[in-house]
Amino acid sequence: MSEKHNAQEESSEPISRRKVLAWLTSMGIMGSAVVSVFSNLVFIKPRATYGQPTRFSIGTPDDYPPGTRIALGDQKVAIIREGSKMAAISITCTHLGCIVGVSETGFACPCHGSRFDQDGNVTGGPAPKPLPWYELSMAPNGELEVDKGKEVTAGKWFTV
Amino acid sequence: MKMRLSLAIASLAILGVHGFVFYQQFFHKWETYQNSYFDQARTLAKTDQEREALASRSPKIEQIIVTQFGSTRVDRCTTCHIGIDDPRFKENNQPYKAHPYTAELGDREINGKWERRHKFADIGCTVCHDGQGRGLQEFYAHGEDEFWTEPMLGYVVQENWRPEFKDKLKGKEFMQANCAQCHTDKDFKSTPLVNKGREVFVQQNCYGCHRIEGISNGTLGPDLSDVGKKWSLNYIHESIVDPRANSATSFMPKFNMTDEEVKALTIFLKSRRGFNYAETQLDRYRATLTKSPATSPESTEPGATTPAVADAKLGEQLVQQRACAACHKIGETDGGIAPDLSYEGLIKDSEWIVAHFKDPRALIPDSIMPTFTFSDGDFRSMAAYLGTLNKPPALNNPQEIYTNLCMRCHGDKGDGHGMIAIYLDPYPRDFTNAGFMNSKPEDRLISSIKNGVGGTSMPAWGKVLNDEQIKGVLGYINQNFTKEARTEIKPRKIPDQNPVAMSPDSVARGEGIYLQRCTGCHGRKADGKGANSLDILPRPRNLLNTAFVTQTNDRRLFESIMYGVQGTAMPPWIDYGLTTEDVGDLVNYIRSLNQGKKDAGLMTLLIRGH
Repeated sequence: MSEKHNAQEESSEPISRRKVLAWLTSMGIMGSAVVSVFSNLVFIKPRATYGQPTRFSIGTPDDYPPGTRIALGDQKVAIIREGSKMAAISITCTHLGCIVGVSETGFACPCHGSRFDQDGNVTGGPAPKPLPWYELSMAPNGELEVDKGKEVTAGKWFTV
Repeated sequence: MKMRLSLAIASLAILGVHGFVFYQQFFHKWETYQNSYFDQARTLAKTDQEREALASRSPKIEQIIVTQFGSTRVDRCTTCHIGIDDPRFKENNQPYKAHPYTAELGDREINGKWERRHKFADIGCTVCHDGQGRGLQEFYAHGEDEFWTEPMLGYVVQENWRPEFKDKLKGKEFMQANCAQCHTDKDFKSTPLVNKGREVFVQQNCYGCHRIEGISNGTLGPDLSDVGKKWSLNYIHESIVDPRANSATSFMPKFNMTDEEVKALTIFLKSRRGFNYAETQLDRYRATLTKSPATSPESTEPGATTPAVADAKLGEQLVQQRACAACHKIGETDGGIAPDLSYEGLIKDSEWIVAHFKDPRALIPDSIMPTFTFSDGDFRSMAAYLGTLNKPPALNNPQEIYTNLCMRCHGDKGDGHGMIAIYLDPYPRDFTNAGFMNSKPEDRLISSIKNGVGGTSMPAWGKVLNDEQIKGVLGYINQNFTKEARTEIKPRKIPDQNPVAMSPDSVARGEGIYLQRCTGCHGRKADGKGANSLDILPRPRNLLNTAFVTQTNDRRLFESIMYGVQGTAMPPWIDYGLTTEDVGDLVNYIRSLNQGKKDAGLMTLLIRGH
């Protein structure tokens, strides 16, 4: 009996050690596999930003006196100021991406004749959607910043 | 058992590595910085508007793309330095610290609010600071990588830089090198060190050897027009202070400059990047078309006068100031590159020296001495000073004569490998070459010593040594180096005068023969640099060396061509079918190459001797 017990103990001890090692090994390998899958997720959406940054500075509010309606060609955005209210409206036509012209009465696309009113709403032509408004904010150094990555609802003015 | 344990350990180690990669991919320092900035800014925000603006922001990579300064720059510096343009953070520690406003850089204070002259959104960061704009980790972004040639100027001093130089490369003044990329005016007041470096470049005669587009045309050393683009500060500094540290074969002298001068020169060189941002493609194209000024406008330094009468005292000053001894030997100081000038007054007259100063290659066609652009008066004064160096060394016995006068070029073993031999062209004669030495009549060897060899660095020692001494030194050479008894020279049938009259026909025939027979060694241009010339010692003669060719009589040319030159690669051409007439045509061709090349004044100098 005691001999058998001993034998059992002797035989069970190496087996459990073996099991522990096997368990640790599989943990390591499985864990690596899981973690590396997640690490590789990074490659699906690379951390690259192409072209100019979406958030950019446009200078101080004083650069834009009340009544200004100016198109910033490089950034493809129109800066509007009425009194102390300011807005940044896209000048990329929502139809096929031409650059729309800015005038006192609104926007007009030279390509297919889309027309927009002063706030960017479609008044004619093939454009399917109004021109989007972008978020304007005041940077700590006193300069205005436009974030083309963030659209705001039309008519949401920024007060300077 | 062992296997299982090690397998378990290995798999856990791999898990560790994967975990580290995972951490690196998803937990960034810059995110921590940005979150911390947002938190601090929130507590500082006073209005709802500010709070709103902050609320809509989340950590993301900030970048400025700059296209107007050379190739497109992507500066992501503001990803970590996110408070760079936030005046509330001017007292914070890096990386939150706001960039200081400096009036010297053109920043203006209007109604208590500062406005920047150089806006980060327009010019980015690396235009001024250098570093690696795309880097998102400090190590890479600051350019601390050993092989990044543009580490952040003056701030980052790298671990692998030479310890004794590290401290000398610190300080924001080094950024002046980048100011000068756009502000190219010679006396732009905000870049004093670049301006000073430019002066040092001229004062220390760097321009003699190095070319910098628009400034100098030296050809002896590397072109430094874009040295700032190619090398880091460390390398430039090291190469000035210790020329052989980076290039073992460099023969650039060590110049005696103060730390301040070296610093200015380093900054000036760092500012040379081949192009500058202020100029357009067209400007640049035009700049390459117009040659750099032959005379440096700064050649007359402040303090240096140009007297009408040569002044030996002033000459001495100039010779010392202008680092002549960086190459030459004068008294105790020895640059180890160029001939000994300690007895120059004995062997050369001032006329020859001035002519040599003005164009070193007029008298010695293959001299490597740079053409310096000092004023005429300075040259005359320097020549006057060298003229006063006329105290002969001890010349009591042939050995002393050899040691004091000959050894610097011909070497202590007489094999022509003297200290400065590799800088001389033609190479000094190898006296151990018995084939050559014993095939020449003694008269000719004596004449070479006495009258010098035209167009080479061998001076006429006849003014220093009497005939007896010359015979003595020749005996010494024969006894110690040649070591073969002279043999009787067989009389040869050689015309004393060229029997073929000089005529265009003869020259044309000579050219034909030359192109067939001689170009392999003497080269298509007859400049002694043919395809085989590199394998041959002594080197083939440069046949465009007017001084040499003029000094050499027809008889010697005929002998060399017809019977070859023993101890050299020149074969006896009569064995290869050339007739006396053919040789005559060749001689006419060689003479024609050297006619009308030099003006009459120089010719008299050349022929009269040295």
